[in-house]
Amino acid sequence: MSLQFLADGLVAGATIGLGAVGVTLTYSILRFANFAHGEFISWGCYLTLLLAGAIGAWASASLAPLGALSIGPNVLAAACAAMALTGLLAIALDALLFRRLRRHGNSITAVIASFGAAMALRAALEAIFSSRPVYLSQELQIAIRVGGLRVTPDQLALLGLAVVLVGALQLLLTGSNAGRSMRAVSENPALARIVGIDVANVIRLTWFIGGALACAAGVMLGLVVQIRPTMGAELLLPLFAAAILGGIGSVPGALLGGLIVGLAEAGTVQLIGAEWRAAVAFIILIAVLLLRPAGLLGRPT
Amino acid sequence: MSAPSLGLRVANLQAGYEPGAPIVRGVSIEAGRGEIVTILGPNGAGKSTLVKAIAGTVPIESGTVTLDGEDITARPAHRMAGGGLAFVPQTDNVFTTLSVADNLKIAAHGLSAAQRRARFTAMNELFPDLARQRGLAAGRLSGGQRQMLAVARALIVVPKALLLDEPSAGLSPKVVAELFDKLLEIRAAGVCIVLVEQNVRAALTIADRLYVLVEGRNRLEGPKRDLLADPEVAALYLGGARTSTAATLLGTGP
Repeated sequence: MSLQFLADGLVAGATIGLGAVGVTLTYSILRFANFAHGEFISWGCYLTLLLAGAIGAWASASLAPLGALSIGPNVLAAACAAMALTGLLAIALDALLFRRLRRHGNSITAVIASFGAAMALRAALEAIFSSRPVYLSQELQIAIRVGGLRVTPDQLALLGLAVVLVGALQLLLTGSNAGRSMRAVSENPALARIVGIDVANVIRLTWFIGGALACAAGVMLGLVVQIRPTMGAELLLPLFAAAILGGIGSVPGALLGGLIVGLAEAGTVQLIGAEWRAAVAFIILIAVLLLRPAGLLGRPT
Repeated sequence: MSAPSLGLRVANLQAGYEPGAPIVRGVSIEAGRGEIVTILGPNGAGKSTLVKAIAGTVPIESGTVTLDGEDITARPAHRMAGGGLAFVPQTDNVFTTLSVADNLKIAAHGLSAAQRRARFTAMNELFPDLARQRGLAAGRLSGGQRQMLAVARALIVVPKALLLDEPSAGLSPKVVAELFDKLLEIRAAGVCIVLVEQNVRAALTIADRLYVLVEGRNRLEGPKRDLLADPEVAALYLGGARTSTAATLLGTGP
């Protein structure tokens, strides 16, 4: 049996994991499942594409691939800027929509609204960029051998990036005032206000982090598959499966859940058949809800 | 111009969760620095709503709240602690998933590093039990320790006024006595303490002055000694055992 699926699965899983972090944070702070989160992934990828093109046109030297990677400095710089922009997009969506609903509605209202927001965000991408697939990079990469597996330098870099981003976020959450405030608001927003936390600020920070990481996931995805306006929406079920598998509210759990879902999907494609791929996330989701509702790293409530 | 009086002053406060349906209907109270004022009243009198409105967590319809002469009526809840008014809610008053140390740190984010260290040292001295359990998740503390942690957390900002909503609820008499000993130490530091209590006997042991609310309005007020002699208070709270209980509480019993 070939273990090649491990390489593909880990990269896909890291992408899912980065997206799932945003889902898990939004859920634990704002108490609703945001179905528009996949659109932040698509928007992040398109924004990166747009900015990378602009930077490339302005400084054509930045187009040359970096070392063994398939992308140039223009894509890296664009991705950093796009992460900030996607974070701001998430804050803007909250200000326009979810914040207004929080004043009156319940979490079901917010979930339904997030469906609507997802459709609007996707339609906007189609209107601006059309649904014709585009690519972040068309460079061919020579795979290298790591312990019998063929991996591309891009894959290794992406995997490292995901671990660094999630590790940095975990440090922020456990070691900083901002992180403590986020955990406090997640547990008890009313008490958080009383102890002097500006809850509105914490909510903005949550959206920003979720949006920025979704953008990173979008760039990872855009390096592996075609860039289309539906790319993020297609990832939605795996995102939720990963967030729930890892335990809602747990950042390392979301990454772990993402890796498991990614590996399971890739393994299924290789061992059973590609037509089963879409079912895997769903099966994992149901199995977790039945067997361990708090998830792998979550706290039972 | 008259000098602003120190402490907490609430004038004609009207407040409630729903607009047009006030639960607190024109209450006025005063609590000076270094004074423990207790709010008593039957269930539904609006005692809890009153302290929540003062702390900014229940909307105020009219009236004013001033602290050391400064009007804080419209101040949002999250800026109260930094401005010197700390509140300990009755339930869910610690972050159970955070450690004891993090519960204290979270209240200190507006302080400088030096102030923070000084406050943590002060709290470790005032609450040595908590200092020993600083790494433990607050959810694993006993009820009494949680209440101590909630009070310690409120004191981190060196408040001018401390509001407590039924801190003795669910605690054993021994633990209540310990908690009230701490409140006396805090009072001695010049903090103005407003205490809502159902446990009248416990409250009477430490109150300097009392207010009795009924149906959202002031009913009676005055120093402990005067109120204990009041037949209405006796009828409302001390049952038939008026004379003996009052005498015990006043320390004038046989």
